[in-house]
Parts: sequence; C-alpha cells; structure tokens
Amino acid sequence: MAIAEATPSVVAGAPLEPPARTWLRRLGIIVPAALIALVVLACFLGPLVLPIPEPTGGNILEAYLPAFSPGHILGTDPNGNDILSRILYGGRNSLIVAVGVTVVGQTIGGTFGALSAYFGGAADTLIMRVFDVFIAFPALVLIIAVAQSLGPSVTTAILALSFFGIPAVARVSRAATLSLREQPFMTAAKLCGTPWWRVLLRHIAPNIAPQLITFAMLGMGLIIVLEGALSFLGLGIPPPAPSWGNMIAEGQASLSATPMLVIWPSLALFITVLSFNLLGESLRSLWSAR
Amino acid sequence: MTAVAERQGYRGAWTQALRSPVSRLVVKRLLLAIPIMLGVTILSFWVVSLIPGNAAQALLGPEATPDQIHTMELQLGLDKPAYERYLDWLGHAVRGDLGTSPVSGQPVTPQLIDGLAVTSELLGLALIGALVLAVPVALGAAHRPGGLFDRLSIFVSMIGLSVANYVLALVLVLVFSVKLAMLPAIGFVPLSESVSGNLKSLILPAIAIGFPLFSIYTRFLRGDLVDQQQSQDYVVTAQAKGVDPWRVLVRHTLRNSSFGLIAVVGLNLGVLIGVTVIIEQIFALPGLGRLLLQAVSARDMVVIQACVVVFAVVTVLGNLAADLLQTVLDPRIRYGDR
Amino acid sequence: MTPAAALQSGLLLEVRDLRVTFTRGGRRVHAVNGLSYDLDEGELLAIIGESGSGKTVGARTLMGLLPPSARVSGSARFDGTELVGMPEPQIRHWRGSEIAMVFQDPTRSLNPTMRIGRQITEAIRQHSELDRDAAKERAIELLKLVHLPAAERRFYEYPHQMSGGMRQRVVIAIALAGEPRLLIADEATSALDVTTQAQIMALLLELQERLGMAIILISHDLGLAASYAQNVVVMYAGRAVEYATARQLFAGVRMPYTRALLGAIPQLERPSHGQLPVITGQPPDPAALPEGCPFRPRCDLATDKCAESPPFLEHEPGHWWACWNAAAVPAVVGDDVDDDGVRS
Repeated sequence: MAIAEATPSVVAGAPLEPPARTWLRRLGIIVPAALIALVVLACFLGPLVLPIPEPTGGNILEAYLPAFSPGHILGTDPNGNDILSRILYGGRNSLIVAVGVTVVGQTIGGTFGALSAYFGGAADTLIMRVFDVFIAFPALVLIIAVAQSLGPSVTTAILALSFFGIPAVARVSRAATLSLREQPFMTAAKLCGTPWWRVLLRHIAPNIAPQLITFAMLGMGLIIVLEGALSFLGLGIPPPAPSWGNMIAEGQASLSATPMLVIWPSLALFITVLSFNLLGESLRSLWSAR
Repeated sequence: MTAVAERQGYRGAWTQALRSPVSRLVVKRLLLAIPIMLGVTILSFWVVSLIPGNAAQALLGPEATPDQIHTMELQLGLDKPAYERYLDWLGHAVRGDLGTSPVSGQPVTPQLIDGLAVTSELLGLALIGALVLAVPVALGAAHRPGGLFDRLSIFVSMIGLSVANYVLALVLVLVFSVKLAMLPAIGFVPLSESVSGNLKSLILPAIAIGFPLFSIYTRFLRGDLVDQQQSQDYVVTAQAKGVDPWRVLVRHTLRNSSFGLIAVVGLNLGVLIGVTVIIEQIFALPGLGRLLLQAVSARDMVVIQACVVVFAVVTVLGNLAADLLQTVLDPRIRYGDR
Repeated sequence: MTPAAALQSGLLLEVRDLRVTFTRGGRRVHAVNGLSYDLDEGELLAIIGESGSGKTVGARTLMGLLPPSARVSGSARFDGTELVGMPEPQIRHWRGSEIAMVFQDPTRSLNPTMRIGRQITEAIRQHSELDRDAAKERAIELLKLVHLPAAERRFYEYPHQMSGGMRQRVVIAIALAGEPRLLIADEATSALDVTTQAQIMALLLELQERLGMAIILISHDLGLAASYAQNVVVMYAGRAVEYATARQLFAGVRMPYTRALLGAIPQLERPSHGQLPVITGQPPDPAALPEGCPFRPRCDLATDKCAESPPFLEHEPGHWWACWNAAAVPAVVGDDVDDDGVRS
C-alpha cells in the first residue's frame, strides 16, 4: 500500500491561532462577561455602596419625578419610589431566580439526561417520554398554572421555571452523553468495573460540561425573560417588591405620558439578556472550533 | 422516453412511497402522539388541581355558609376522587365537551373556539411572516459568509433573540400608536367586520411575536446553510457541474437545510404559544391566552383546565405536523436511511 | 525546457509553476508551492502525494473551486486558454463542460435529498439546450455508459438506496454529463472496497479510451498510479518533486521521497513477517515550510546543500526532479530498502 491518508483535507491544519482571531474571540467573551459582572455588582453591591433610597415606601409627593432629579438619577415612579433603586433591587430578584432555575435545572436535568443516555433501554425511554410531555406542554402556560397554584414569590418563580428548565437541560445532557457512550474511554471505564456514579462524575460530567455551560448561559437569558413575563402578569415577584417584569407592567399603564417608566427596566432587561446570549454564543463557537 | 413514461416513473415512485416505510413511520408517529397527549392532559389536570384554596369557596365568596359550599362542591363533583374526575372529564372532552364554566354559567367549548380563532390568526401571521422574511435573509447572509449583509443579519437576529416579547410589544405601541398614531394600541377587529381593520389590529402583536421568531429562524438557517456550504461535498459536486452559486444555494443547500428548519419551527411552538398569552394580554386581543388569564384571576378551574389542555394539544399537534412533514418530505427518512 | 510529453502534438493542459496560498486563521498557508506538468489529449496522468501535499488544491485550482481566501499565481493553460485569474462567471462555463471532477467519497458527493436522475439532468441542462425529456434520455444513456444496472429504474432513486460502487458510477455519470475533455478523479476509488476499486478504475480506463478523455488521477497510492498512468507527478509539501513516465520512474527513481514511497509498497518478494517500511516523521506544516528542500528533515540522504532549495528541472529527457543528491538514490530493484529514507 502507500502512505495512509485519513481525510482528503484541502490543506493541513495550521495549529496556531492567529493573534487577530484570538483577540476577537477573547473580546467576544470578555465584553459580555464584564457586562454581566457589572450588572451583578450593581444589583448586589450597588445599593450598599451608593447613596440610593429604598426601593419601596417612597414619598407619594415625589411621584413622577423626571430623570436626573436631585437624589433620583432615573427619576421616580407613580408611588414616589426611586427607579434606579427599584431596577437594582429588581435585578437582584431576576438574577436570583435565574441562577436558582439554572442550578436546579442543570443538576436535576443534567443528571437525568446523562443517566438516561448512559443506561439506555427502558429507563431511557420512560424518562424521555415523561420529559417529552413536559416539553410538549407550552412553557409559559405551564409556568402560569404552577405559579398560580403556589402563589407569587421568588421560590414560586424558581419552581415554576424549573418545570421548563429541567426537561430542556435533560435533552441537551442526554444528547451530549449519547455521543460519548460509544467512545473507547467509556468502554474502558466500564470494563474496569468503575461504578456508574463514578463514570458519571469522572468521565461524563467533565466532557459534557462545555455543552451544558453554554446552554446554561443561553438559558439564563431566557429565564430572565420568562421571569419578567411572570412578574409582568403579576404571577412572579409580588408587588410592591420590585422586579423588572412588574416595573414594566406598572409602567405600561402610563406608557404615553411617562414612557421612561417602561424604558428603564426594559433596557436593564435587554442588556442583561443580550450579555448572556453573547457570552453563550461566544462559548459555543469557542468550543465548536476545537 | 416520453413525458408519459416519465409520469409513470414518478407515479411508480409515489406508490412505492405509499407502500414503503413512510406510511409505517406516519402511523408510528401518530401512535406515539397519543400517550403524549394523554400525559399532557393528566399533567394539566394535576397542575390545575394544585391551585390552592377551595374552588367552591372561591366561587361563592367569603359570605357563603358551609352548607352552600358543600352543595357547590357536590355540584362541581369535588367530592369524587381525582382520577374519577379526570376520567369523567376526559370522557366528555373527547366528545368535544369541555364543561361549563361555574363562574359565567356558559359552556366552555364555544368560548374556546372563538379564542382559538383569534390566537391562530395571530400565530399564523407571526409564523408565516417570520418564515417568509427569514429564508431570503438567511440565503443572502449565507451567500457571502462574513460579508456585510451577513454581519448585519447576525447583529439584527442577536437583538431579536435578546429582546423580550413584552418589551418589544410596548416599544412598538410607544412608537406606532403613541408617537406616530398609525396603528391601534389595543383591541381587536374581527375579520368579518373589516379586513383592513383586522390586519391593523393584529400587525403590532404579530410583529412582537414574529420578530424574535424571525431571529431564531434566521440564525438557525444561516448557520446550517453556511455549515453545509463549507463542509458538504455534494455542494462542491454541484459547483463542479458549473451550476451558478445562487442556484446551488437554493436548489441544493436550502433544500437540505429546510428539513432542519421545519424541526426548529415545530420545537419552538411550545414557547411560541406561551408567548401569545402575554402578547394578547398587552394588546387586549380576545384570544385563548386572554381567556386563560381571565380564568386564572377568576379562579375558574373549568376554563383554566380547558385552556391549558387546548394549548398543550395544539403544541403536540404542531410538533406532530412538523415531524410528519419532515418524514414525508425528507427522502432520507422516507426511504429509511441505510 | 518542456517535458518530453509536450513535444508531441495535442497538448491539452500546461501547468507552470502554479502556486496557491490561503489565509488560514490569519496566516498564509502555502498549499501549492510550484507545480508544473503537461497533459496531452487522452492521457492518463497521476498526481501522487500525502494528504496536505497540495495535490487536491492543485486540481481544484483548475476548476476554480477554491475558498475565497485563495491566492493563485503561475499559469495553467487549458487548450491555450489561461485558467488562472479567469473570472468566476466565465470559469463556471468551463466547469463540467471542459473539465469535470469526481470526488473521493461518493456518499458525500451526491445530494442525499435529490433523486439521482435530477442530479444528472441538472448537469446536462447546464451545458446544453436539451429539454426535460431529452435530458432524461441522455441521463439514462450516461447511466448505461457507466454500467449502472437497471438505469431506467435507478433514475428515480435516491443515493442512499444504492451501494458505494453504484454511487461512484453515478458521480462519474454526472461528471461525464458535460462531455468534458479532462476528468479529474480526486481519490475517486479510495473510499471504496478493493473489488469495487478495481471495477471503478477499469471503468475510468474504459471511458478514457472510448471518449478520448484525458484523466488526472489524484491519489496517495503510488502503486495504483504506476500500474495505470502514463505519467506520474509526485508532490511533496505543495511542490512537484519528481515527474516522469511511469516506466522511467521504476527504472530509475531520482528523488528520495519517491524512492521512499516506492519502498513503502508491499511486495511479494519481501520476506514474510518482516515489518512494512514506513517514512519516519511528519510532512511539514504548510504554513511554516522549512528552508531549502522540504523533505530534508525526513531524508536520510540529506546533505548541507539541501538547505538550499533544489530546482525542479528536466535532468534527463522527460524526467524531472528536484534533488541535489539524485545520483545517490538507489534503484528500486533489489531488496536493500533499509538505508534510504525508509526504515524497516
């Protein structure tokens, strides 16, 4: 025979990354990550560090103040509450819910998906059928029903959104694990008699982590939007506690007179979601390029 | 060879398609949808039964005497065990009777049909609009990956993915209703009353739903097209025939990407239907979503139950339709890939 | 200066110092780095090299099927017309009608969602004024020409309903649709099993004879090339390193790399149970080619002189090579393959 030839590649790959590309790639991660860090810091540390009034219990005499009023940089809402303060405190709730749902979804959904793929057979069929039912269920309708039955609160929002998050993560994790299952190192691990939980933790988890983390980033954006929708409908964070969703809903009533009441929380929502989406996208292209 | 022979050839292929795996696959998919539908109804029944508080009490108000509440409970069948109530409900539901609202005293089914008509018109407009725009934009972007148009399409679709529907809806209202006074902010004009009025009342909500949808489709299709153009040898074969690049893109690449796009449309239906709830609320459209939210605030369990089930069934059916369409259109599935 | 083959009449393709570079991740990659050969009408030429040696890129350049970042210099004259630098709309008319190509993997080179009939008629109608019916008739004719059994029925089938060998016949039929004068077969048999390989090879030879078509056979398999081709170009790291008739090559190989390739062909005369010889080391990174002769790091005959790039010249009539130490290259006959760029 002759020299082995694996692929008819046009040109042999150049292993080194060019400086320009690397920088673009890094920027694609650094910029959204920095934005997210900024939002998190502002929401959690901002109210402690900056001279910002409480988000509730405002003076009704100070209602509808325009932006850049003394003491109220973004103005006040119809109840005389400081808008910036409400955005920062509302952001706390959005982020807590998003992180909560992501953690619940990733651990439960991720584990079920991986186990389902790892064991296969009847267990796999059963688990995936049950999740199919959840996925077939219109997400927001399900969330509304759950939120209604549990009564509005942060915990409710996390639980309700988890109904939607768990099956979605399970699908991703199952698909990722399935592609691993036939790999030699998995067979090797099994042949060595490694117990399943060890295979799961040592061999599967590290390998499916990139896909799950990417999905988590894209998911964070979606969860923040859905949480906003719940609060917008009055089923999420109960007023007078602030959340971006209920701020937008309150602002809707006076949209024509004071559109800024809607625009400020909308901007906060948009920038946060955009940052998560951009970060997820950059991570995806980073990992798929490998 | 003549045209007749050709037609016979095609007909030969058709009969083959009818007899061969395709029909079996369709039947299999249909059968598979049944347990999912049943599961969906059980889930919705369970979720609705979770809603706390006494439904009879909620209906009668705080002044009701225990006797009145008890009579009402009997009337609503709340004394029976859950599975019995479910089977009872299912028995009526398969016959098209979704019960009578204890709040309004009206039968639910006609209300649902009215609401479904509005919701489907809205969804249809948004879906078709999004697809009609997404396909040419994705083609234009994939024609020159990395080009100006491609970058622009990536930028726009990233915005579409990140803007919440309800925010977009309010921005649209602010611009087109409040500032420009071109379109109504709320309300619905039935098609039977005025065609232009109907379109005007639906255009903003359809954009609010359709733009993010357009972004999802564009991103997927553009990505898939570029992937195939760069990695698939059959694209090179087509180019090597001397076929011009646009034709290769449309006839070969788009053809194969369209199957994936159909799947994406199907998978997104669940999210999409949820979105209509909030959009109908904002624009005060008398659709299913609004019916659901009104029922939720009135604690009208029968209507909630019916709405949830209809939403779920529509989602399952939509998914099924996408699945079947793919099965019928994609020859790799149709003839069973070896 | 011209190779011996060019002195004969009917020169079809004249490639001179062809160079192709890509931008790959910001760096210039030298995929083809000086390639010259001639091709007569109806000739079968083999281009041999490892993956990454630039043989496929060199061939795709003739078709204008390179990624947008490719920069081409040098010359490739097809029947007197310069192909290098020809604008895309113009070269598109040449594709299929003058030069056609068959690719390695028939499974991947056919569109899985299109009936094969349409994939052929598309090519036919691109290059002729035939209507649907006539194109169909012609397509079935082509399918019969490539010996596809039950051609009328196969016309309506999808690629996945066929075996690999049948698919490759279809791909060849597509390539023949425009009645090209040159067929480039890029590893056309590599993805097939051995029996099918021989059948497809036989088909290509038959077509070459019947249609008077020239064929460029691109392969990593020098044994295959040597048994069918009239002339052989050996490529290494993007450049031609030896070019001769198949006979000349076996009679007196002049380039250590070619010698190593020939040594790597298993032969019956070798003692059984002996290890198969391999060429040590890796081909160089086309983005970072070494100074001088690119084969130097792997060559056992390398001297200090090799730090300077050896010119590719016609040292003997019809026999070109690029090596300073050609005289030291031992002949193939004889069994001592152990000390010349080949390790057993």
